[in-house]
This record gives sequence, structure tokens and C-alpha cells, in this order.
Amino acid sequence: MTESSVKFPRHTKGKRPQVFDSPDIDQMMTFIIELTTEVSVLSERLNTVEHLLDARGTISREDIENYIPNARIEAERVESRKGIVKRVFRMHGDK
Amino acid sequence: MVAKPSDTGSVPNIDAAYRPTHDERARQGFVGVLRAHSSRDMRNALEHRYRTQIAPAVERQEGQAPQTSREIGKLMDTDSYYRFHSALRYNSQEMMYLSVLDPVERVADEMIAVGREVAESRPAGGTLTLDPSLEMPRYVTALDVHLAPGSFHSEYVDDDLSQGAMLAYGSKVGLGGHVYRHGDLGVIGQSIGYWLTQKYPQFKPKRVLDVGTQSGKNLFGYIDSYPEIEAHGVDLSATTLRYGHARAEYLGKTVHFSQQNAEFLDYPDGYFDLIVSSFFFHELPVAATQRILKQCHRVLAPGGIMTHMELPSHADCDAWNNFYWDWDATYNNEPYYIQFRSQNLVELMVEAGFDKERCFTTSVPNFETTDPADYPRFLSGQLPPMDHGRGGWFVFGAEKTV
Repeated sequence: MTESSVKFPRHTKGKRPQVFDSPDIDQMMTFIIELTTEVSVLSERLNTVEHLLDARGTISREDIENYIPNARIEAERVESRKGIVKRVFRMHGDK
Repeated sequence: MVAKPSDTGSVPNIDAAYRPTHDERARQGFVGVLRAHSSRDMRNALEHRYRTQIAPAVERQEGQAPQTSREIGKLMDTDSYYRFHSALRYNSQEMMYLSVLDPVERVADEMIAVGREVAESRPAGGTLTLDPSLEMPRYVTALDVHLAPGSFHSEYVDDDLSQGAMLAYGSKVGLGGHVYRHGDLGVIGQSIGYWLTQKYPQFKPKRVLDVGTQSGKNLFGYIDSYPEIEAHGVDLSATTLRYGHARAEYLGKTVHFSQQNAEFLDYPDGYFDLIVSSFFFHELPVAATQRILKQCHRVLAPGGIMTHMELPSHADCDAWNNFYWDWDATYNNEPYYIQFRSQNLVELMVEAGFDKERCFTTSVPNFETTDPADYPRFLSGQLPPMDHGRGGWFVFGAEKTV
């Protein structure tokens, strides 16, 4: 694949605000949030595999890449994402 | 009402070039949910904690609850719940844009080619007028506003529109978890357009200007409300205007995009019947806002209406809401937020030349979530206005005296 002539910067101009007493904790929060995102992405890829197997009994990598959930399945995924957020980011003291 | 593509199909759909992978879509979907959780669910929980626990505790100790947003800030800065909310919200804002950078970058050349083709053929009859000599003011270049890498204006190659696309798709990711924001139509233009037809039924604007229009999507709402209207949009950023032009032509919406600094509009006096904007002024120093409002007054025709959607002013909100709204000043690279919100908007409009009795601030019902049966009761004041961002949109504006 030819390289794009456009290269976006991946950093943001401007001082990053510090939320916690140590910037190391801010950094660790980013690690946790990104890791949680990876878990959600992985579970959706597996969910895609399961739906494809239900439909066809066998699948290829191309099947996975091309899979676009219908509205019902997308709505189920939204609920699953919310479930992950709710469980992983459960705050102490929440009822 | 969803915009339909041009019947002739004579130009490609620029958005069709954007093809995120399965996992990129999954990532974007998760970031949208995380953003809604932090900026809405945690916000509501924080407010509940503040009002039912934190403020009463201060009142017991000191005789009165905190009176200013600054006092609340001092309390909340060391509050763990608030800190975790800020961390989740800040990270999800960053990730909103990070999650679209790769898929846009991959197809940037293809999108730029579509942009060039559309600018040649212009089947909807819209125009794109650019000014390569226009200098970007510091309030655009100094920081990456909204944490978007490259801010509003960055261009990397000739005829670039990739930043325009990136900003549009990034915003969509961020709004993915909100119940009332979806679809192509700019909800602000849709809501204010409808409100104008209901509140001013005799008003028949021939020409509208959207200031700080970026990709122009809010203009579609005014075109839907007034089908014969001539739609114009100005912005400093060529990349967002190019992207907007390509989209508008495909969708069959005739829009005239012009790259200008709104502080120095090049339209004749009284050229427009309607002047609008959406979340624009809080991005600017007040001195620029003052100059832009003077320009609005100049190019607005007698009998015309100006309506700007913005954040509610400090004076309109209690201390908690001011503390909460002003979060973006620190955490979203929006350094002019607080200065803007502290202004008396009616005074600013009077300084710009409008008559005081013709100036207004009000809340416009959000179109998609408002029952049409309730609408007349909002207009008459029988129903209380909806809070900004929670079913209503704060606007300030004026009618220009005939």
C-alpha cells in the first residue's frame, strides 16, 4: 500500500493538565483506560466471530474484516460497552 | 429530516472513502460510550454528591454553602470522584481524535482527489472561495483546541481537507453515546431554524450567514426551514471549508463557503437577513468577539435577526453549574471560555450597535427531543426552558431595527 501524503501529528499542542497529586497517576489512568478499550475491542471481534459462525458455520479473516453489525446487534454492542465501563470503572461508594 | 444525496449522483460521496477497520470501529464505539459516561453519568453523580453531601457539610461547618465556582473548585480539586471523572473525560476526549487519525490518514489522498473533483463540477451550484494569504490568529494556532491534534486549521498538502474530515469524524465519535445527537444534520441549525419559523412566522429570510461554519453542517437546518434561502458560511480554516463544500455538493445543498476572518467580513452592508453561529464565540478573546459582533451588525439588514448558540453566561447559572461548565477552560484547551462566560451578552450586542430592547437571551428547544405539541407552550413561557445541553440550547441574539 502506498503511503499517504498526509501525516497527522499524534500529540496535542498545549500543556497537559495534571489531575492527580502525581503526574505518574495521570499516566497510569491512561494505561488503564487504553487497556479497557482493548478489552472491549477484543470482545467485539469475538462477538463478530460468534455471529458469523452462527450464520455460516465457518469463516475467513475477510469475513471478520467485512462484518458490519445490523442495528440490533450494534445496539447490543452499545449495551456491552456500557457494561464494561460500568464494571471496570466502578467507583467506590457508588450505590 | 435527513439530507438526501444529489439525484444525479454526479459527484462521489467524500465520506464513502472513509473505511475504518472492524477493530477501529469497535474502538470508536467504546470511546463514545466512555465519553458519555464521564461527561454525563459521572457529571450527574458528581452534582448529586455535591448537593446532597459536600455542600451541606460546608454549610454545617461554615454557616453557608460555597457561593462561587472558585470555592467549589477548591473543594472539588482534591475530591477523588471528581478527579477520576476528569481523568476519564480528558482521556476519552483525546481518544476521540486518536481513534480517527489512522483511518482518515489512510484515505487522505483519495478524499483530497474527491474534493478537487467536486470543486470542479459543483453540481449543487455552491461555491468555495479561499484566501491563501489569510493569516491564522493566535487564538487558533497557539493550542490544539478540544485536544484535536492540528487544531481547526492545519493543512499538510495542497487542497488538503483531511483535517476537516478528521474533526468531523472525531466529533461524531465523541457524540456516539449521547441519546439525542445522531445523524448528519447539524442539530443546532435544525433546532434554531425550526424555532425561528415558530417564533417569527412572518420572517422570510433570503440570505443567511453562519459564522465559524467549519464544514457548514448547521446551514442545512436553515435550508430545511427556509428552502429558498441563500446559504453562506465563513471560517478561517480552508481545510474544513473544502471538506464541507465536498459534502454539501454531494448532498445537493447549495452552500457558499468563504474563507474569511469574521472580524473583517467582506460582504456589503445589510447583505444578510439572518446571521447565526454555533459554539463559536467562546473560542475567541472577547476583543475579537466585540469586533465580530460589530461586523454582524453591519452586514445584517434592517429587520434581520441574529441568533448565536453559545454557553450560558455565568450570571445565568448557579455556582455549581459555573464550576462544572468551566471545566473545559482547564481541561479542553479552551482558554477563552471563562472570559466569554463572564460577559454581559446584551451589553456586548448594544456595544456592537444593536438596540437594547431588541436584544434577547433565551433557550431554544432541541428539535429532535421536543414534542411538537409542547412547542407553543415553550414559546409562550408556559413550559420552563430546558437546560443548555439537556434538551435546550442557550442562544443570544438581536433583531436589527428597521
